[in-house]
Amino acid sequence: MEVSLDKVNRTAAAIGVRNLTFAYTREPVLQDVSFTLQKGAVGLLGPNGSGKTTLLRILLGHLPLQPGQVEVLGHDMARQPRLARARLGWMPERGGIIPGLSGVALVSYLGELSGMPARDAMQRAHEVLDYVGLGEARYRKCEDYSQGMRQRLKLAQSLVHDPEWIFLDEPTSGLDPKGRAALLKLVQDLARNKGLGVILSTHLLPDVEAVCGEILVLRAGRLLAQRSVGARGRAEHQVFEVEGFGDEASFRARLTAEGAEVTQDGRWCLVTVKGGEGAALILRAARETSYGLRRLRRQTLSLSDIFYELVEE
Amino acid sequence: MPVYERGYKHWERSERRASPPWWVIARRGIAEPLKRRGFLLLIVLSWSPAVIKGGILYFKYKFGQLADLAGGDWTAIDAGGIYSFLKWQKYFVLILLAIVGTRLIAKDRLENGLALYFARPLTLKDYVAGKMLIILFYFFMVTLFPLYALSLFGYLVTSGQAGLDMLLLTPLRATVFCGLAGASMSLILLALSAMGLRAVFITVGWVLLYLGSEQIANILVLIEGGWMRVIDFPAQYFQAGAFLFGARTDPDFSPWVSALLLAAYTAAACWVLRRRIRPVEVVS
Repeated sequence: MEVSLDKVNRTAAAIGVRNLTFAYTREPVLQDVSFTLQKGAVGLLGPNGSGKTTLLRILLGHLPLQPGQVEVLGHDMARQPRLARARLGWMPERGGIIPGLSGVALVSYLGELSGMPARDAMQRAHEVLDYVGLGEARYRKCEDYSQGMRQRLKLAQSLVHDPEWIFLDEPTSGLDPKGRAALLKLVQDLARNKGLGVILSTHLLPDVEAVCGEILVLRAGRLLAQRSVGARGRAEHQVFEVEGFGDEASFRARLTAEGAEVTQDGRWCLVTVKGGEGAALILRAARETSYGLRRLRRQTLSLSDIFYELVEE
Repeated sequence: MPVYERGYKHWERSERRASPPWWVIARRGIAEPLKRRGFLLLIVLSWSPAVIKGGILYFKYKFGQLADLAGGDWTAIDAGGIYSFLKWQKYFVLILLAIVGTRLIAKDRLENGLALYFARPLTLKDYVAGKMLIILFYFFMVTLFPLYALSLFGYLVTSGQAGLDMLLLTPLRATVFCGLAGASMSLILLALSAMGLRAVFITVGWVLLYLGSEQIANILVLIEGGWMRVIDFPAQYFQAGAFLFGARTDPDFSPWVSALLLAAYTAAACWVLRRRIRPVEVVS
């Protein structure tokens, strides 16, 4: 599938990836991945080893580009990764601290490395540590932090230079339910209220459901789907259980002609309607083909339904 | 009220200038060991040979023959005397660099800190230059800085009799020697630091390279002959740098052999640094 980045409005498309293939050795980790993202909260989903972390590393310019093109915030990552990185925040999954430094020293140090003047970096370090709830522990050595505190510290360091996008790699791993909920609330606040773009890479579907409005699903290095989730997703992608009597063949043909997908599921057929027309389209098709409807019920698909449907396909 | 509800504010850029990343790394790395009292004491101790030499100089010029009892290079204020002073400092170099340098990259790799560095707009050159400056600073702290002080003191004590050679030429020779030796040694130590995760193992490696190679060479010289001195790591710096100070070289092998060996060590260190410093995750 050939996607042209030129056709996308470059100012609006914050992140664009075209025909990206990447291999550490021989076996490709990513194969012909293409997508564009607008600013918002995006969940990067996939089973272990599907290429999520590799994709994030490529978006950060950590790995050399093999076939493919990646643009982040208008910068070509093959030529200008440093310019893009000044506007990105990164929260790695493992480690991600520098032993020997206190929380505030670590965050201000990384702020300075992002191009902030020393005094600004220190002031901002205090602000973001307060924001993530580490205000009281800011002078403790970061290797003495608990797992939950480390995750918050990593979030703080990714925010210190006020990036436009933050990439979070498994941010809730190793957290207890309370800590997980608190961290997700922070991420949700950043994405919804503070105008930051967020890519949340995880295999925990409830995390994505809580935060994201869009998902990218990877499996074995291939992008299976890019779609909206949550209220917007439900409006764009509706599935109905339909059962009736009459000329079913004409009814199905009519629905297919209107762009709906029809599949048989036991006694009734499943009609997937994309767009926002929903039940009105089915009712119109039934009226026009004189098909009597006995059952018309909308299915509520959770993110896990969508995910497993995609992955198992 | 949860703390995060205090809100997140966007950063309002100020007019202040940001420092280049290599300087940010170097500044923090230099300041960190100075917080330890023991380390400060060690630096003071490393200046003691310079203080003693300065004292002998003073007595020699004030009390004539009396200070000659100390004998040898200690009373010399020429290039040869400075060269022997640098040789004496090599054990302080060993200890100080072991404390400062061995953890520099290892601790970043241990907790996946490299991912944090390289998620910022800095390059491998910035990172290595910053770390190298930290080592260079402490290398100069025990070699070049006391030497400058000694040269100035010698010039003043002799009321200018030592001439411009003491005030300018000898410090210049020492600057070239220490600059090249320090750069090479910093890269080799950084490469060692990049090869492991635990500082203790890297320190053992550094001591073996620096002191172990010297001791092994001492033994092998007795068995095989003087040319076995080529395996003595710190001796190569003095052999290659001897011509700068007009000092006597080891007759068993050419200073060019030492220079080539050091160039090879340094090139290997650069290769290791390129291979080991990567912004990818390290499982600790």
